[in-house]
Amino acid sequence: MGLRWYHAAFWGLFALGLLLLPQVASGGTLRTFIFANYVAIFAISWDVLSGRTGYISFGHPLLIGFGAYTTAILTKRFDVPVEISIPLAVLVTMIGGLLILLPALRIKGSYFALVTLAFMEVMYQLVQVIRPDLTGGTRGMSGLTTLTRGAENGYYLSSALMLVIAIGAWLLMRTRIGTALSAIGMNEESVRGSGLSTTRLKTFAFLTSAAIAGLGGAFYVHYLGSLAPRAIFDINFVFTIIVAVLIGGASTIVGPIIGAFFMVFLLEYLRPWLPGPERYFVYGAIALVLYMVQPKGIVAILQSARARMKGRTA
Amino acid sequence: MLQILIQGLLLSGLYALISMGFMLIFSIGRTLNLAYGAYIMAGGYAYFWVAQSLGLPKIAGILFAVLLGMLMGVLKYNLIVRPLKGETVPVEISTLILAVVIQAGIILLFGNSAKILLPIVPGVMVIGGVSVTMNVLAATIISWIVLLALFGFIRTTHTGRAMRAVSMDRKGAAISGIDPNRINLVTWTISGGLGALGGVFFASYTQLSPSMWVAPLIISVAVVIVGGIGSIVGTLIVAHIVGFLEVIVVSVFAPELRGIFTMLLIIGVLILRPQGLFGREEH
Repeated sequence: MGLRWYHAAFWGLFALGLLLLPQVASGGTLRTFIFANYVAIFAISWDVLSGRTGYISFGHPLLIGFGAYTTAILTKRFDVPVEISIPLAVLVTMIGGLLILLPALRIKGSYFALVTLAFMEVMYQLVQVIRPDLTGGTRGMSGLTTLTRGAENGYYLSSALMLVIAIGAWLLMRTRIGTALSAIGMNEESVRGSGLSTTRLKTFAFLTSAAIAGLGGAFYVHYLGSLAPRAIFDINFVFTIIVAVLIGGASTIVGPIIGAFFMVFLLEYLRPWLPGPERYFVYGAIALVLYMVQPKGIVAILQSARARMKGRTA
Repeated sequence: MLQILIQGLLLSGLYALISMGFMLIFSIGRTLNLAYGAYIMAGGYAYFWVAQSLGLPKIAGILFAVLLGMLMGVLKYNLIVRPLKGETVPVEISTLILAVVIQAGIILLFGNSAKILLPIVPGVMVIGGVSVTMNVLAATIISWIVLLALFGFIRTTHTGRAMRAVSMDRKGAAISGIDPNRINLVTWTISGGLGALGGVFFASYTQLSPSMWVAPLIISVAVVIVGGIGSIVGTLIVAHIVGFLEVIVVSVFAPELRGIFTMLLIIGVLILRPQGLFGREEH
């Protein structure tokens, strides 16, 4: 897999930084970090599928919603313990991932993006109509089991989860499978021509992405303790995830994490001036300019800066 | 029964107007303009500002809205689509970002709460025992006028023929001496104007709110996907399928289910016949 010592050093330093952070940061900052961690998880999930294979999913909240709703319904309505409900939620999300995989076997490009968007809207409307006694209808659910108490514990849990998912996905993407997935994004025909089964590779990407989304969604809902359909199946949520990946740098794993943190903290620092959703005006404008200047994101900007420095010293 | 027929016709006319601009971009520019919903919203708010806040005549409001929409189309083509060389995925993503930026801009200017737009044409008319609001009737009539004009424009004028040529084969059109950039610019301008005009009527049909852009965008997507690329008649027919489907679902089943069958229609058509019911075969 071509691992080097500095890879281990990088992840080690990153983990150490996350571990020591509560010593210097206040509870409010930690809550921001928790949100950033979950956005990073969702962004990694999107990146594994769309960043690699080029199948742009505009319906990713659908998968997160599968995970969140499954565990919420199981714990709240059937008193299933969290230890069982979260694995079940991941399983259900993976089955849901297969559901949106089916159209992807036939259609690609813009059409695929649209189908995923349509799936998300169907789910948004269905959730409110079908069995509101289970799903909580339009209002959603509240008073769900929370896994942790206090900002600090929630922070450690979310950081650990994010770190495990990030390193797992990073290692996975350095294998031959990861390379093949990236190759699908470049030219699907030639991957098929090389004798690889693109159907099997795509299935793998969808299942991995769904598993991460389900895991993230389930833990997130047990952190919040509540969920509402419009908060999950929302095009603004799609925007949050996609922009986090693109600002950071697609198909890099590190990029989505950087993007998620950049975005959440920018939005947080804008709060004193723009308290409401108008923050997205500044944020979106920055994202748009950044995307127009360097579509490969912050990671690519850093890399080219490093290359330039090296060129000067050599 | 008559009620379903009349309401279906009226709603479908509105939907056809909304989705026509989206179809133009999808056929000629070959990308999804996800900020199309933002034109619709901007049109609605522009009309609201001129006609209701400033109290100017309604026709000035409509004109202002259309001009604003066209300006947005021009700006978007020159500042975003052209630098990205019209590549599909980057344009889609940047228009999604732009849509959210415009949404936040509207909140900044007009606040987050929903606003009621007074009917553009007040009054109620009774046709065969069914009461019809004049406002929606006017929207439908204008929609038909605009559609016929657009159809005539694309069929008969030189620019219209050039638009069809670029839609079929960009390179071939360029070889025959058509400037695809100019044609794209014209298309984005017309699309912006149509979106804003549709937005004025859509806003008076529902209400103005900063999140109102999602519903018309999804309707446009549905109509264009099911209708297929490059077919005005297809768009018109499918707008009626979608409109009638919604009216029938609302009156026979439940109002909450109104969008679901439309979505299932999109998913079904995309999987079974990706080029749409009336679209050309793509190679």
